[in-house]
Amino acid sequence: MAVAAKPGYSCPYCATSFNTVDDLKDHVLKVHGTEALPRPEGYVKLTVNGQAWELEVAPNWTLFYLLHDQLGYTGAKTFCDRGACGSCTVIIDGRPVLSCMTLAIECDGKNIETAEGIAAAKHPLIEAYVKHHAMQCGYCTPGFVVTAKALLDRNPDPTVEEIKEALAGNLCRCGTYPQHPIAIIEAAKKVLAARSENTPA
Amino acid sequence: MRSFAHFNAATVDEAVSVLRRYGGKATVIAGGTDVLGRMKDEILPAYPEALVNIKTIPGLDFIDEIDGVIIIGALTRLEDIALNRAVQASCPALAEAARRTASTHLREMGTIGGNICQDVRCWYYRNPDNRFSCLKKGGGRCYAINGDNRYHSIFGGSVDQGCYAVHVSDMAPALVALDAAIKTSRREVRAEEFFKVGMLRTTILDDDEIVTEIKIPKPVGWSAFFKFALRKAIDFPIVNCAAMMALAEGKVTEARICLNAVHGTPYRARKAEEVMIGVSINEDTAEAAGSAAISAAIPLTKNGYMVQIAKTMVKRAILACNCPDKL
Ligand SMILES: Cc1cc2nc3c(=O)[nH]c(=O)nc-3n(C[C@@H](O)[C@@H](O)[C@H](O)COP(=O)(O)OP(=O)(O)OC[C@H]3O[C@@H](n4cnc5c(N)ncnc54)[C@H](O)[C@@H]3O)c2cc1C
Ligand code: SF4
Ligand code: FES
Ligand code: FES
Repeated sequence: MAVAAKPGYSCPYCATSFNTVDDLKDHVLKVHGTEALPRPEGYVKLTVNGQAWELEVAPNWTLFYLLHDQLGYTGAKTFCDRGACGSCTVIIDGRPVLSCMTLAIECDGKNIETAEGIAAAKHPLIEAYVKHHAMQCGYCTPGFVVTAKALLDRNPDPTVEEIKEALAGNLCRCGTYPQHPIAIIEAAKKVLAARSENTPA
Repeated sequence: MRSFAHFNAATVDEAVSVLRRYGGKATVIAGGTDVLGRMKDEILPAYPEALVNIKTIPGLDFIDEIDGVIIIGALTRLEDIALNRAVQASCPALAEAARRTASTHLREMGTIGGNICQDVRCWYYRNPDNRFSCLKKGGGRCYAINGDNRYHSIFGGSVDQGCYAVHVSDMAPALVALDAAIKTSRREVRAEEFFKVGMLRTTILDDDEIVTEIKIPKPVGWSAFFKFALRKAIDFPIVNCAAMMALAEGKVTEARICLNAVHGTPYRARKAEEVMIGVSINEDTAEAAGSAAISAAIPLTKNGYMVQIAKTMVKRAILACNCPDKL
């Protein structure tokens, strides 16, 4: 997504344009003598795969742009950039969501997980995806894996139907669909086995 | 995406006051799944100067059941509605409508408030960079009427005629069939009235008004929702239909049937309801009601196929309501 070189903030009273929110705020206070517009936002504190970030973001940055282009988490990909394919999926506070349709400025206080975090934690999904070769070109794959991780977090023993339902929003142009439930069921078994090992008898 | 000012509203009043100050030049953002698509493509001649985020308002994301009345906060995500036990038990049409909307990801983001306030999907209207400055955008003509109108209205133009774009929400017909009330920052209206507007808008909301709650009275009968779409997931309805039937001694005493994606507003199939009153639910009566529902259809050049689908959706929804023991 193209990011406007010069963000413009226009005054609601006289339509004069300003480059920063602060300039707009000063203008509204001084020229129009009104109360300040409530808290124009710009700073966000968020956690990505356990790492805390404090950042200044522009209002028109999507979460995808922040993660991929600004912070270098390139696991998520944009395909459609319109919410219709799932390749940009990340997990926010446990929910699988589309980073292309989320504004970064609205992610203050959020806990975000990306494909990088899932790989770094050596989640069994990664091995199962490689073993069953649930990919061809691989472009859509991080989106599938992140969606599958969110599913397993909530439902560690999903049926094939439940897996299909959860992945219904992920498109794959190479048509790797049949491999995903196979890989996910195998990963689920490992997650369950690891859990019962860790629980003292 | 071009830039804009962005406000995180802390209260309903604050959201309303920012909206008022921008006088129509600011837009509410909830889940963002509809509004960001519109902005990325710059489909409208005027780009919003500000977005007012209402997700930061506490207390609007909840589902409560009080004496059989279900109250849903405007910010409640569709996935939470689809999985809610109370909603599934008393308002199956609503749970099913939520479950059949878009995809898991979009349901995890999309709110019920945003769903009922979403804009139309007419492909001329949605074409990037305002390529077709049509009637709905204040332009001179409708491109669909003589163009490709396969997904347009089969019941004529909108209230003030001219625009043939359909209302595509999956939640709206369920709310109309269940006789829900929509509570806003300033009034409470019945779901049916909420959508009755001319072609320039999709809801009765003023520029500085937001939806806060949706109230569903204790349902008088079992309800059902059916959706026909080309793909199972991530697809808007070609036609959908919700119905609620109250039964006494095997006969229908109250019927509410609402189609959507067939007209500029959710289309209450009153003639079908009349057919059902006083009879039992069976293949024949449901078939007759289906025919009555489409009796006023005036399809355009390319959407005649939708008429038969609408009839079938009405029939299936009615038949699925024949569960006297479930409520
Ligand atoms: C690929 C794709 C597929 C889809 N498929 C379907 C489908 O099958 N069925 C379906 O019904 N929809 C579908 N949608 C539309 C989807 O956007 C809605 O279902 C979603 O629920 C909108 O909610 P939101 O919170 O994201 O809305 P937003 O995008 O945040 O808002 C939508 C509109 O409502 C206004 N608004 C939001 N909340 C309020 C409020 N509380 N008060 C006043 N105004 C408000 C906003 O200003 C905006 O104009 C699809 C969308 C996409 C991108
Ligand atoms: S149907 Fe409505 S939105 Fe579509 S081109 Fe015609 S006037 Fe525009
Ligand atoms: S890139 Fe986000 S859904 Fe397609
Ligand atoms: S592996 Fe190529 S798009 Fe899915």
